[in-house]
Amino acid sequence: MKFLNNIVKFTVVCALTLLFSNISNSSEKNYYKELITDWSRIFPDQNRNAAGPKFFKYIIDKDITYEDFIEYNKLYCAVSGSLIDPNAEPDFLFVSERKTNEKICGDYYKCCIPCSCDVMKYSKVEKMKYKFINGLKEFYVFTIKNPCNKKDFPNRVNRNYFCDGEKINNDQVYNLNGRVVIGLLHKGRSCKKVEIDFIRSHQITGSFCELRNNTPLENLETGMGDIFIKLAR
Amino acid sequence: MKYLKKLIIFFVIIIPTYSSAGFFEDLTSIISDNPKRLSYGVSVTDVNQDGNFDFVVTGFGYPNLALSYENGKLINIINQKKFTDEFRRTIGVAACDIDKDGYEEIYFLNTDTYSGTKKYSDRLIDFDGRKFIDLFETEKNQKDLNLTAGRSVVCVDRKGDGNYGIYVANYGGPTRFYEYSNDIIIDKSVQLNLAKVTGGRAVVAGHIISDNIDIFAANERGANFLYENKKGKFLDVAYEYRVEDVLQNGRGTALSDIYYRGRLDILNGNWGGFHRAYVLKNNIFKDIAKPPYDEPSRIRTIISADFDNDGFDEIFMNNIGEKNKLFKILDNGVIEQIPLDIALEKDGYGTGAAVADIDNDGILELLVSHGESVDQPLSLYKAKIDSTKKYLRIKPLNKYGAPARGATVTLISNLRKHSKTIDAGSGYLCQMEPVAHYGIRKKEKNIKIQIKWTNGETKIMSVKNLNQTITIKQK
Repeated sequence: MKFLNNIVKFTVVCALTLLFSNISNSSEKNYYKELITDWSRIFPDQNRNAAGPKFFKYIIDKDITYEDFIEYNKLYCAVSGSLIDPNAEPDFLFVSERKTNEKICGDYYKCCIPCSCDVMKYSKVEKMKYKFINGLKEFYVFTIKNPCNKKDFPNRVNRNYFCDGEKINNDQVYNLNGRVVIGLLHKGRSCKKVEIDFIRSHQITGSFCELRNNTPLENLETGMGDIFIKLAR
Repeated sequence: MKYLKKLIIFFVIIIPTYSSAGFFEDLTSIISDNPKRLSYGVSVTDVNQDGNFDFVVTGFGYPNLALSYENGKLINIINQKKFTDEFRRTIGVAACDIDKDGYEEIYFLNTDTYSGTKKYSDRLIDFDGRKFIDLFETEKNQKDLNLTAGRSVVCVDRKGDGNYGIYVANYGGPTRFYEYSNDIIIDKSVQLNLAKVTGGRAVVAGHIISDNIDIFAANERGANFLYENKKGKFLDVAYEYRVEDVLQNGRGTALSDIYYRGRLDILNGNWGGFHRAYVLKNNIFKDIAKPPYDEPSRIRTIISADFDNDGFDEIFMNNIGEKNKLFKILDNGVIEQIPLDIALEKDGYGTGAAVADIDNDGILELLVSHGESVDQPLSLYKAKIDSTKKYLRIKPLNKYGAPARGATVTLISNLRKHSKTIDAGSGYLCQMEPVAHYGIRKKEKNIKIQIKWTNGETKIMSVKNLNQTITIKQK
């Protein structure tokens, strides 16, 4: 009898699953779709060059949970400003913390390999606290110094996105201790020696990045070329 | 035993939802002489002016066809070269009465290259009762020929006076807007603020945001356009209304009353991207689409129509190199997928589709064309429905006696306020019959019909008898 009962229950569950899978009222969030839909709100002039900070600001200004925040931040490249495929795998890398110079390890979602190198060399991470709708959370973010007093501000980047005169434009990008937040370091934590060794010996974060980061700017053609570097250096 | 009873009761409740597995029947065999070919857009108009609608099927290196229903068969009735014209490679088609003689001219958009400058211009076919002529071949009309590759065309009665113009969605060159002016066909796109360069794909026109005829163009590699009609000129308000969708590549688009609330909203398919169901709320179109409707596919034409006469519209998604999909729009914006077997076309290379009640039996036929990279014959489907279902068909004619393309018909009853557009074209290459076809819901009563003409004026009338086509002429 118990067996028969279980069959009935199983059948009911299967049938209900089948029934509701055909109805277009799923409440599951599609973060990628939201970013695509709102893309022209984020970039009204359609210039997303090096504009990861615009994505970060747009996301953190939303009324969302910490979990939503994490998911959204997997979908753009902090260096280039490109959207990233939802199924993309991150690179495991380290970046120096601004205050301590300690190496902080974590995952970086990138649009292309050179961006991992650029973020390692030209950004710093900082710990940031923020109150989401489900509570106060602490996490590491990539930052670059205020680019607004640069004389060689890259002309392919929309300066108005970043700057209000020589100050950071707080309406457009997130200002953390006088630096521009460009994106989130996922699962950031202090590196162990074995992790640093792994990253340094990895074919991308090791040998490829060493090559890229020692190439003169004028010879950089892959990734964002020299646009982000000129902005961040 | 009691468990068995529970199981039976449960399936009695659930099974009706899935009884639509055999939604369509296949009527392809009634198409006489149906070889493999490369076809694209399909339009529905009265080609030979005999009072019956015909399917116009474009050919890409194959003849354009005019399929007429005669003695239980769909037969090609036109063999005149100006019309068939297999050399110019036609892909988009739309019909409307641009010379105000009460009969529709047919615009054939030819595309012999993917983008930019093309070799052959488009044709604007008129019928003099004996032979077909191309109005663009008349010397006086040759000043502004369209020599840019394009995709879709839509008819726009921009001033609401029955003087139709034709919006041509070009690809890699400026949009065109052809209209008769002092007996000459000229391009007015610049003076009407329409001459933008984009990857034009689909375009629809109707009462979208104003009481005049507005235009929505779904584009590729660029923002969509939503043109608000401002006294006959146009202002792009896509960004303000949030339908610009810059990162998606527009394809099949249809105007549909998604909430059954008496206004036209927008169904918009995107190539390999998220399909949208835009509903207007507080002057912003909100995309309410959710899986499985919004899931990316290789979408071509999208059709919103009541195939099974149950009073709820279906959405037919014609995909190329991928299974077709069918949905039903239930109340409150719920979009439910209907399993398909017939018309699934898992190996089909669908390039166009259109609906019409071609045999005048009160049930819509669906003609699907195929081609692009694989030559395939046409296919024809009709919903399998029981004979107790009732329908009502409204055919508005403008003051010249031509189909009032762009007008909006609204059925008002105790159960719904359901608007339909008189299709002006060319949701993607195609154009539906110029009739508002309604199935009647169970327990539906007190039926009235309101027509909003292209000038925004409305007329309302009560309907006593169902199962008929009511022709209403604008005064």
